[in-house]
Amino acid sequence: MNRLFTYIVIFLLSITPAFALEDVFADTYINKESVTEPYVHNVYDYSSFKKVPIRLNICNRINDNSVFEGQQIEFKLSDTVYSSGKLIARRGTIIPAKIETVITSGMNGIPASIIIGEFCVPNTSQGQITNYYEVKGQDRSLWVYPLKWALTILPPTGSLTNFIKGGHAKLKPSKTIEIYYYPERI
Amino acid sequence: MKKILFPIILILLIGMSAFATPLEEQQIQQRINDIGYNILNSNQINNRVVFIYSEDEKQSILDLDKALASGQVIVYQPVYKASETEDELAAGIARGITLAERSQKGFWGGTLSALQMRAAPKKYEIVADKIAVDYMVRAGYNPVGLIIYINKTTPQKRHDLISNKNLASKRLAIVYEYIYTKYPYFLANNPYLNNKYYQNFLLTSENNRKLLEEKVKTGSNKTLHYE
Repeated sequence: MNRLFTYIVIFLLSITPAFALEDVFADTYINKESVTEPYVHNVYDYSSFKKVPIRLNICNRINDNSVFEGQQIEFKLSDTVYSSGKLIARRGTIIPAKIETVITSGMNGIPASIIIGEFCVPNTSQGQITNYYEVKGQDRSLWVYPLKWALTILPPTGSLTNFIKGGHAKLKPSKTIEIYYYPERI
Repeated sequence: MKKILFPIILILLIGMSAFATPLEEQQIQQRINDIGYNILNSNQINNRVVFIYSEDEKQSILDLDKALASGQVIVYQPVYKASETEDELAAGIARGITLAERSQKGFWGGTLSALQMRAAPKKYEIVADKIAVDYMVRAGYNPVGLIIYINKTTPQKRHDLISNKNLASKRLAIVYEYIYTKYPYFLANNPYLNNKYYQNFLLTSENNRKLLEEKVKTGSNKTLHYE
């Protein structure tokens, strides 16, 4: 009886995976050997507030229509970075970064935005660098909302302001952005 | 006498079991706080956000979203009950943090940002999903938990053309694509592959995953219009 029961259990266990759907897409298009485990920042110490500015210029102009999430981009250091007299990175060093999220512009003047993260600054760890930098387009909602409310007395003209879109997010090589290096953080 | 007492005690016991005791509530709150503060610290979020467990079924229609109004992430009881794993609970909390954080930045203490999020809830629903994935990964949670969280807690509407919410299937497909693009590690080493809720997502997302397959095959970068 026990034997029969064991066979039944083994049989049931062996057919269980057959019922499960496989993620064929992931199996086909992801090379398991090439993927690496993402950085996890679960050890931290925020007791120090010492920070060193890092000024960067993007190598090639980007805007919210030309980039995609996960895309690698490059910045160039515009000033040499020192921390307590120690050289961190020289001016002109290429700093790779990643496009984290792209938010397209919306109705009522809502601007587009590009969130850039994973700045790889030499001699630092990711937990010591500003988490992300956001590039925003022109925020037209600052005047669209007051205009919309002012026009509510003349319906439906107020609703027409819905069609005013926000500005595109763009970053030119001439624009210097500033992120921070926190040398005493981990 | 005993015959009367017994049903009374039974009724009282059944009634009591429907509500969490203060100790249970404290444990739930502690679990939510642990995950919430872990996400805040791991992601260097320097805005104040608090986490509250509510026994209410859902947010009242008359109430403003607390995440946008005052940086409070409310975890409602049905959502808490549906979140079996840490990853799933972290998914719900990370979404709330995203909205709370963004509503405290920008013009006039973030008032304009909060207004924009209220004016374009569909747009920011997707933004919250995407940023929640990033926050989860950096805090050490598996972002596939967000797929399971949405699959279990969000009902599917017939269409979203005149709605202020996206179709759940569309959100799921966008999150899946986002994980595939940025964190393929979690799809290649997926501990949820034999999870019945994830299997249900695979079952119901066949068409959307085919669209993504076409995009990957052709090397396109255009935005897909999921169904």
